[in-house]
Amino acid sequence: DALLPAPQNISILSTNMKHFLTWSPVIIQGETVRYSVEFQGEYEREYANESWIPICECSLITATVCNITEDISATVAYNLRVKADVGARRSEWGTLKGFFNRITTSLTPPLMKVIADGYHLLVELEDMGPAFQFCVLYWKKGQESRMQQKVVKEVRSVVHLDTMEAGPDYCVKAQTYVEAINRSSSFSQTQCVRAQGGRSMWLV
Amino acid sequence: SGELYCSLPNPRNVHFESVNMKNVLHWSAPEGAGDGVLYKVKYSVYGVGKWIRKPECRNINRTWCDLSSETSDYEEQYYASVKAFLNGMCSDWMETTRFNPLTDTKIDPPMVSVSSTEKSISIILTAPEKWKRSPEGESISLLQVYPGLQYNVSVLNKKTKKRWFFSISNNTLVVPWLEPGTAYCVSAQIYVTTPLLHSGFSKEHCIATLKDK
Amino acid sequence: LCRISMSMTEIRSGFSAIKANIQARDPIRTLSILSYPHSLHKVKSSDRCCITHQLFNFYVDKVFKHCKTEDSYVNRKISSIANSFLSVKRKLRQCHEQNKCMCGQEPTEKFKQILANYEGLNVTSAAIKSLGELDILLDWMEKS
Repeated sequence: DALLPAPQNISILSTNMKHFLTWSPVIIQGETVRYSVEFQGEYEREYANESWIPICECSLITATVCNITEDISATVAYNLRVKADVGARRSEWGTLKGFFNRITTSLTPPLMKVIADGYHLLVELEDMGPAFQFCVLYWKKGQESRMQQKVVKEVRSVVHLDTMEAGPDYCVKAQTYVEAINRSSSFSQTQCVRAQGGRSMWLV
Repeated sequence: SGELYCSLPNPRNVHFESVNMKNVLHWSAPEGAGDGVLYKVKYSVYGVGKWIRKPECRNINRTWCDLSSETSDYEEQYYASVKAFLNGMCSDWMETTRFNPLTDTKIDPPMVSVSSTEKSISIILTAPEKWKRSPEGESISLLQVYPGLQYNVSVLNKKTKKRWFFSISNNTLVVPWLEPGTAYCVSAQIYVTTPLLHSGFSKEHCIATLKDK
Repeated sequence: LCRISMSMTEIRSGFSAIKANIQARDPIRTLSILSYPHSLHKVKSSDRCCITHQLFNFYVDKVFKHCKTEDSYVNRKISSIANSFLSVKRKLRQCHEQNKCMCGQEPTEKFKQILANYEGLNVTSAAIKSLGELDILLDWMEKS
């Protein structure tokens, strides 16, 4: 049987610690082409005879994308490869050019909503998964030098930051932090709110 | 003594049920065995050569056996095993999987006590204690067992129905600048990031801030 | 002081996913690789770094490669743990090269005992038993 062409344009899309392998389809007129994906970590290259490990969720699939997040679970350099099959005919492996290390994932600022509830400053953060913590900075408008920080490890719907005095605006911005790769996103847009209280009070 | 004729069906689903490191062995009766089945229990420390019988669980007809005392050292791991007897017949010994008290226990929610002033509520949380042999025994808080233990506290404003969450490491929380004469309901949960352990949320403790003078 | 960041949560979750499967493959209740005759918990705090370094080398160099199973899900989780261990092993080696993780006689003896326990079994049984005892190592490492 004539060999199928190997999959081309193999690349990684990695955002917020979600990693996807993609490739261009192999076109064989009138045939359904199926693909299989394998990975190889640094451990396999150096200690396990350069062995490859199949990803069964991406074995003989027709899609040209594979979610490899669960297998890229260490901060080391990974190799990835794809092959095509049509019936008994198969292609050579197409291999990702260069390695992929999750440390290169792109981290986006978190979606955030700041809430003033009476004299209380609260923030609603998007749940981005167990790998993510949030660093939330808040300050009284005009007093950027007295910025305060709160680290939020577990996202619950509305997280209490602090109490506010009536009058001034309070501003908040947040970034994500991923301990596994020791990196942070850029900060979100700043949002400012004001206490919703009738009377003015000041904490001693 | 000669071994009995072991063709009785085996006890099933032999496993530890552990809460705050009170470690109780549970099992189900052999299929179709009917009444009158008796059991005996033994346990072993993983890596140590011998099985140890549990006298208080010899010839019992219940399907549980408290092994908390025998498995109280949470730096060790354990196996336990059960054998059934009926009318001169017996079953095989049926074992648990390896039991690690530190990672395989469940944790109760913390105790919550709440007090209030006109405009604030004060919350004191108490982590549950590790199981102990007797009330006079030394109390060990789970805080000592799990140094990374933290609390999630939920505060619900009954009037506005808005719920806030706080994550704290120490066991006290004061929420100031609340509305006078308003009911707030507090519940709390324990969570440990590694090993990953979460208690459920405690039942809600409601209290009203005092009315404006 | 040797300070390294490692994602214990990921290693723990990888191990929890295969713990029952791996431990069920180890029928020997009467011997432990890491805890026999003395528990890791008896190691002095000054020797913790040395023992940790040696154990990460032990797992990467000797254990994981002999743990291949017929179950591809288990193999993927073992790969995940092995690559995480490799990442930590490198950081520990840097500490060692900066003389921050030195080994005295006692930890060296303790590690020799672990190797003797390991070599006392056939290689596959020893590797599977060692992998099944990963929580003993992780619990000890996290103990303050």
